Amino acid sequence: MIKFLLKGIIRDRSRSLFPVITVVLGVSLTVLGYSYFNGVMTSWMQTSAKFEAGHMKIMSRAYAENADQTPNDLAFIGVENLLADFKKDFPELLVAPRIRFGGLFDIPDELGETKAQGPIIGLAVDLFSEESPEKDMLNLENAVVRGRMPQKYGEILISDEFARRLNVLPGQTSTLIGSTMYGNMAVVNFTVVGTLRFGVLAMDRGTIIADLADIQEALDMKDAAGEILVFFNDFVYREEAADRITETFNEKYSDKDDEFSPVMVTFYDQGGMADFMGMVSTFQGVLIFSFIAVMSIVLWNAGLMGTLRRYGEIGVRLAVGEAKGHLYRSMILESLMIGVIGTILGTVLGLGFAYFLQSKGINLGNMMQSSNMVINEIIRAKVTPVSYVIGFVPGLLATLLGTSISGLGIYKRQTSQLMKELEV
Amino acid sequence: MKKLCGFTFLIFLCAAGCLAQEWPSGEWILERVDENIGADNKVSISEMVIHGRRGSRSVKSKSWLQGTEKSFTEYLAPARDKGTKMLKLEDQLWIYTPSTDRTIKISGHMLRQSVMGSDLSYEDFMEDPDLTNLYEAKVIAEETFKERSCWVLELTSKGGDIAYHSRKIWVDKERFVSMKEERFAKSGKLLKTFVVEKIERIQNRWIPTHMIFKDELKSGKGTEFFLESLEMNADIPDAVFTKASLRK
Amino acid sequence: MIIPRLAIKNLMGAGIRTWLNVVVLSLAFVIIIFFQSLYKGMGDQAKEAKIDIEFAGGQYWHEEYDPLDPLTLEDAHGFVPGPLQEKVDKGEAAPILVSQASIYPEGRLQTIILKGIDPKQTIIDLPSKFLVQEGDDVPALIGTRMAKNTGLNQGDMITVRWRDAKGTFDARDFRIVQIMRTTVETVDQGQIWIPLETMRELMGMENEASLVVVAKNTVNIPAVQGWEFKNLEFLLADIDNLIKAKSAGGSIMYVFLLLLAMLAIFNTQVLSIFRRRKEMGTMMALGFTRSKVIQLFTLEGAMHSVLAAIIAAVYGIPFLVWFDKTGFALPQGTDFGFALGEKIFPGYSIGMVVGTVVLVLMVTTVVSFLPTRRIAKLKPTDALRGKMS
Repeated sequence: MIKFLLKGIIRDRSRSLFPVITVVLGVSLTVLGYSYFNGVMTSWMQTSAKFEAGHMKIMSRAYAENADQTPNDLAFIGVENLLADFKKDFPELLVAPRIRFGGLFDIPDELGETKAQGPIIGLAVDLFSEESPEKDMLNLENAVVRGRMPQKYGEILISDEFARRLNVLPGQTSTLIGSTMYGNMAVVNFTVVGTLRFGVLAMDRGTIIADLADIQEALDMKDAAGEILVFFNDFVYREEAADRITETFNEKYSDKDDEFSPVMVTFYDQGGMADFMGMVSTFQGVLIFSFIAVMSIVLWNAGLMGTLRRYGEIGVRLAVGEAKGHLYRSMILESLMIGVIGTILGTVLGLGFAYFLQSKGINLGNMMQSSNMVINEIIRAKVTPVSYVIGFVPGLLATLLGTSISGLGIYKRQTSQLMKELEV
Repeated sequence: MKKLCGFTFLIFLCAAGCLAQEWPSGEWILERVDENIGADNKVSISEMVIHGRRGSRSVKSKSWLQGTEKSFTEYLAPARDKGTKMLKLEDQLWIYTPSTDRTIKISGHMLRQSVMGSDLSYEDFMEDPDLTNLYEAKVIAEETFKERSCWVLELTSKGGDIAYHSRKIWVDKERFVSMKEERFAKSGKLLKTFVVEKIERIQNRWIPTHMIFKDELKSGKGTEFFLESLEMNADIPDAVFTKASLRK
Repeated sequence: MIIPRLAIKNLMGAGIRTWLNVVVLSLAFVIIIFFQSLYKGMGDQAKEAKIDIEFAGGQYWHEEYDPLDPLTLEDAHGFVPGPLQEKVDKGEAAPILVSQASIYPEGRLQTIILKGIDPKQTIIDLPSKFLVQEGDDVPALIGTRMAKNTGLNQGDMITVRWRDAKGTFDARDFRIVQIMRTTVETVDQGQIWIPLETMRELMGMENEASLVVVAKNTVNIPAVQGWEFKNLEFLLADIDNLIKAKSAGGSIMYVFLLLLAMLAIFNTQVLSIFRRRKEMGTMMALGFTRSKVIQLFTLEGAMHSVLAAIIAAVYGIPFLVWFDKTGFALPQGTDFGFALGEKIFPGYSIGMVVGTVVLVLMVTTVVSFLPTRRIAKLKPTDALRGKMS
């Protein structure tokens, strides 16, 4: 019977095409929608990951203990060796050593004396290495308001608002006064080559982005970094993998008795992230539930429709003596097949779009005019194993349910009425 | 003659013994202390050893001082700080670093930062060393410290703008050198201590050449200070204490 | 008038099909409004919390005061000027004194912000009443975040060092009398609250303040020399921006939902046009023009959204009201960087509801119209015979 029905579905376009298209569209929307919600939620997470937490983060044990004070005096020394080893162990991961620092930014007059001064917070990242993920990750290029990106050592970016307040123009040399990792005063010249908009008030007030090597030199932090952020190369956080990597790393490199030995923590380990993600998944649950509910009704609707449409056909089949039970079962089987075909096609289609959105992302910035900010809202879909199966819930169950309910109508039909109905 | 001398000395000793009941005034002791330090021109080379959580490191510098108002410091080591100069005129401070060729004025809040990561702030360096100007002094005890007999003085602010409201100092009875000092907050809480480890006789004065400073609220071993050389009554041209000399 | 009447009749006549579509559409309505209200609620709540506990009716800032630049705090204080002191005396404003200080958790110096507030003030919802001094200990109030960072517990003593107006060091042990749980990070993180008068005394800053918070809904905002009034729009700008960005992310989801609903409508339209050829033919034979027929079918489709709006109102309003009462619970200990409580309560607005209805109506109309274009090619004779060309 399956073969017979399958032939029917393939040959009779009116019987198959429209229902299948509906299921395909519905399922692919579900898959895409699910993946997109996943992405929306993770984009919240991504912003924290990119700017603060990484997917994993390596610090010295002592630094980790006081991490909220960014204690550079406790920074990890020996970055180069550690990362060389680390890359051998985990070649697929991206690393981003960084230094956060604070200080004063001092603008000179013509005589080289202080004209204006203001406090800044600084972020030193690897701007120039080929393999450095930072430039793209932090969306610096797009966020430059005036001037350009740094191209060589000694060039930095500062927040636009700060530049305007202190009257600094791109191209101007200014001085950073900070403190070395040993507490000495550090006084270093930098050329401001561009100004940035961050999109976050606190950062726009006074932030500089400098190259890591420059700051290592300036703050006497040779081969040192406050934090080394580690990312999965597709920027998608995987909790179990992160846990595993962290465990392996700490076993190999971390020494409980040496407060300056490195220690790795996962995204979830860091201040409140676990709770945050807990709430995110609650939120996500509500969304996905609503979405699937709506989708199920649509497809159920479609299933019903399919049966109603074939009112005439059913009448004829009953008239020629097909048993009601047989007819009902064959209808259900058929809808099941349509459901399977549609769901598979829809899942494939939806996943295709989802993968596309995962790699490309939707730039909400275009609507928000925020793509030119460092912290923007590019939202990527996120495909998870659940994305592969989620479509089956509405795709199969709803179609099936729709047909089963509407198909019950078969049992209500009276043979005596059939001929009358069939008079055309 | 010799006998007479001996006799006089005996009387003197007696007198001293009697005086012990009546301690000298705190002010008088402080004046002696200030006298010993002297307000003349000085050139010194010193080394600061800072003990941190990551081990110790040292900073060497040469200073020119004129009275209490003017000072000029040039860092000699470590290499990355070599050539950094600091000029202090009254309560203003400028810093020059050769690598930037910039003269930067250090404003109020930066003065309160610690110097080179030590337990001392720039302000600690900049305060008027003439204690009589700042504090009322009262002798409160006699104590032996590091085998030296000392007066213990309690210093209380005269009410000016001053970092430490009160201090307790142990002054060597003979040499009039402050051997130990405790600096207190207004509330009476101990904030910083410094202890003299070694004293040397330089140009007829007793000069501490090894001291330890400690911020009592912080953990750690504090900061050691070594005086390598000191030239008193030095001839320092006025031009040293100008912003122009920072760039030289 | 015949077309609308016919449309309603036909819709009702279609029974279950219509209702399924209507249910789907109404779900879209409710969900879109639900999420919009959630975002709005989030923003409203964060703002409300900030207003309640920090900003009240706005703040006068001493001209040097800049909360984002702690280094300048030492100069950011001055006598509370006459007009503001008047408000303070009348209980319409609360002065706050702000200064930098240091604490030494585990022997490491950590810079914090010390804030003095009148324990009896009622302008902001900060639990300042705990700061009434009993005995010699200076009472101090901190938030949960600060407590966590420093490892402090209620009843602990903490050594705080600062410099008074003259630059003289002072240090005291304060007793933590209360740890407050607040959603507003900016009155918690890195801060210690002590009684205003005690702080003024300790700092040597009699009658001075760094900022003066005025009561909610204060209308009379006199200009005061040396002080600048910061209104709520200024103080809350960050939250507004954040919410705008977040709801943009949400709007993509509405697109998905609408697409789904439209799939259902489109499906129905195509079907009904396919099934009702004879009916169309009959109508044309009776003198209906093609455009009239198209109008009828489009209207029928569009009416789904009208019915959906009614249905949505029937079950949506109770749901949304219930939701408004119970809120959306967040897990404990969550910190968003902006003030959200343990529950988010939705925020509704007429604009939001009307906007959603109009949007859905328009989209439904367009989607209903699209399949009807086939009717334009219909020949009445074929249609009568049930043929579709």
